[in-house]
Amino acid sequence: MATPSTTTPVILTISPTFRHSVTDPTTAMNVWHRLLRRIGYLVGIISLMVSLTACDPSSSSLTASPLNSAYTDEQPAISGSGRYVSFVSNREGRRQLLLYDLQEQALVNLPRLNRRSTIAESPSISNNARYIVYVTSDRGRPEIELYDRITQVPRVLTTGFRGWVRNPTISPDGRYVAFESDQRGQWDIQIFDRGANVELDLLENQPLVDNQT
Amino acid sequence: MAIVLLATLSSCSTPRQLNLPFNPSDTSLNTPYSETEPYFTSGRYLTFVSDRSGTPDIYLYDVQERRLVELPRLNSVDSVATHPRISDDGRYLVFAGNRQGKTDVYLYDRQMRVLKNLTQSLNADVRYPSISADGNTIAFESNAQGKWDIFLYDRSGQPLELPESSSKSAS
Repeated sequence: MATPSTTTPVILTISPTFRHSVTDPTTAMNVWHRLLRRIGYLVGIISLMVSLTACDPSSSSLTASPLNSAYTDEQPAISGSGRYVSFVSNREGRRQLLLYDLQEQALVNLPRLNRRSTIAESPSISNNARYIVYVTSDRGRPEIELYDRITQVPRVLTTGFRGWVRNPTISPDGRYVAFESDQRGQWDIQIFDRGANVELDLLENQPLVDNQT
Repeated sequence: MAIVLLATLSSCSTPRQLNLPFNPSDTSLNTPYSETEPYFTSGRYLTFVSDRSGTPDIYLYDVQERRLVELPRLNSVDSVATHPRISDDGRYLVFAGNRQGKTDVYLYDRQMRVLKNLTQSLNADVRYPSISADGNTIAFESNAQGKWDIFLYDRSGQPLELPESSSKSAS
């Protein structure tokens, strides 16, 4: 690090060649401008990389693991493609919703899905496991959530929905979510249509790319 | 980051609900009895459990044609059926059936009208069967190893080799 008495400590630490030019005030200003511009470029590049990382499905990684553990592994749901299995497991000292890639023989990381404040149960997955629906109870009543492996964000589907809900399943293409509700005082079937504009998880779509760790 | 923010903001809306029939008729989808455990393929076949006939049975509803589909020789009076799932083309239907106290995974072929017990040789309880879109792979859980584990079978009832690092195998 440069000493406090130096007028341009940052410049001196970044490039020793600048040291010879700081005696001329005009040259020093140019150096400052060039440095600030470079810092600007650097910040821009870092921001872009962070944004791309958040959107890129390849940022979700795989963890090599057996399918079954020494603890309870239950409520399996196989994907339409037959490649993925979602299930609920008691491994690692907590109850979690997990996604297993049978081809890579590894667990797929699901950032932000499992939370300390609630348990995710009754998973169901679309063709290539892009979409996962399940039941959580963050606020004391069961809610159906949908997790998108592209955005890595869970979304509550039953906000404002009157009545109790359970046993959600997502259609293989990811457009429909069927579930039970007690709105009529008994269990009946309801179906959410996520709309014609939703990105479908079709079998012919390429599976999301995951990195093995 | 922007996509994450947008996805979070869009979480405020509730998806549109399909208008599904409800009436006392036996041929309706929802009735005054219980309709549970729905599974809807991509826009057409909806399979579920209903106790409208007195015991929990498997039903199949064609949402496009808005009618129940016949399932000859699938349900029987001495069995309780739960957790149905169906292949994407609507041909293969799996469910957990309890007969005389033993629960097994059954596969029903709609084209051949044949019901097959996939876990007859598995001397354990089974639950939660599901089937891949092409009907070739069936996943379910069983306590054959003394605790709940996940098993994979093919359509003929043969166990598939599981990714295991240690002890258990489906076979």
